[in-house]
Amino acid sequence: MTHFLKTAWRAGVLVALAFVAVSAGRASVDDAQSFALQAAEPYVKEGFQVREDYWGGDLGSGEKKAVRQQLFKGNEYWFWLGTEVEAAKVSVHIYDSEGKLAEMPDSWQKGHFAAAHITPKNTGSYFIIVEIEQSPEERTHWALVYGFR
Amino acid sequence: MIPFAKIPKLTIAVIAALSLPAQAAEAPKHVDVKQLSKKVEDVVVPLPNEVFGALNKLGGVNWREYVRNDKGANFTERPRIALLLGAVIADGFIAVQAEDAPTVKEIGQRVLNLSKAIGVSSSITAHAKAITDAADRRNWASVRQELDRTQNSVQQAMNEVHDEKLSQLVSLGGWLRGTEVLTAVVTKRYSEEGSELLHQPDLLNYFETRLQSMPEFNLKLLQDIHAALVEVRPLIDVGDAHIPAASVKKINDITTRLGDAITKKTP
Repeated sequence: MTHFLKTAWRAGVLVALAFVAVSAGRASVDDAQSFALQAAEPYVKEGFQVREDYWGGDLGSGEKKAVRQQLFKGNEYWFWLGTEVEAAKVSVHIYDSEGKLAEMPDSWQKGHFAAAHITPKNTGSYFIIVEIEQSPEERTHWALVYGFR
Repeated sequence: MIPFAKIPKLTIAVIAALSLPAQAAEAPKHVDVKQLSKKVEDVVVPLPNEVFGALNKLGGVNWREYVRNDKGANFTERPRIALLLGAVIADGFIAVQAEDAPTVKEIGQRVLNLSKAIGVSSSITAHAKAITDAADRRNWASVRQELDRTQNSVQQAMNEVHDEKLSQLVSLGGWLRGTEVLTAVVTKRYSEEGSELLHQPDLLNYFETRLQSMPEFNLKLLQDIHAALVEVRPLIDVGDAHIPAASVKKINDITTRLGDAITKKTP
């Protein structure tokens, strides 16, 4: 019985630790999303509808991730990238299906925020490439949101 | 989401960072797409109102013609409910384009009923109320936002209980209804700019692949949709060429047929 209780206790502690670890990981991506949404906020006032859906994950310094996105000619899009790691430097860029840089020159990068702007010349698939350029963390959470009008 | 107590710190950090001088984002002018494709996430399915917005800018759309009031059948099969749910949310976006408040409110209620039928209603009740409230105020931007939130909440609830495939069917139902209306509008008043909005081959690939991974949903409707997507592919995958009026009409026939099958019980 004592052996059973000890085993049950250890299992309980392991489950609790796993739960805390998962929650902590999720919270960081959610934090990154909050920063991305904060970067988007001024654009909402300009009539951009920000999608509820977002992409997120974690990357090491110098690592990139690409997201494929269907864009429609006639719409205007902004993509906002954020991370909760304030000392990090991030970037986001938009390429067309041929791999040609397609974003507008007012796209910007400010520390742990970045944004890319496009009015697509053609309807079709585009690649949104996010990068953690520098970070003091081994892995840096990121989140990308987008809006259109 | 982040705890409320963290918000002031977050706001300060955002203000501090955004007050830094913006750097023009320097990037390579060209990337190797083939190399890139190894680390590409799945294509993101646009909301129906993204294409409706682009279509609207071409002018001359009488959205009231495309508002659908048909309540649709009551299904018990969850994949069928998921498809219908996506289509009904797309109908919500059409009713918003038409600024038809009574239909928007009915759709809010239908979304809630379908969410209950599929077991994800707990997070939808508040959205359904918000849709009704915003429609009463004729605040169309808020209705659009709430419809997006509704779809997102439904899909998140499905993903949390590992019903990702149902979540994908919600997207598919919305995409099919959006494509049905897009092709109806362009058929009525053909223009190359309008037909270009159908240039979505990666989305077609995405849905085809997803449908192939659902053998457990042994439904004839899903097999019919898959066959229809195969039929549509050569019509929209035309590279730099224009999609002709005849192809737009054919896609409309196909998606209208599927739309009927999604909303109605077959004998």
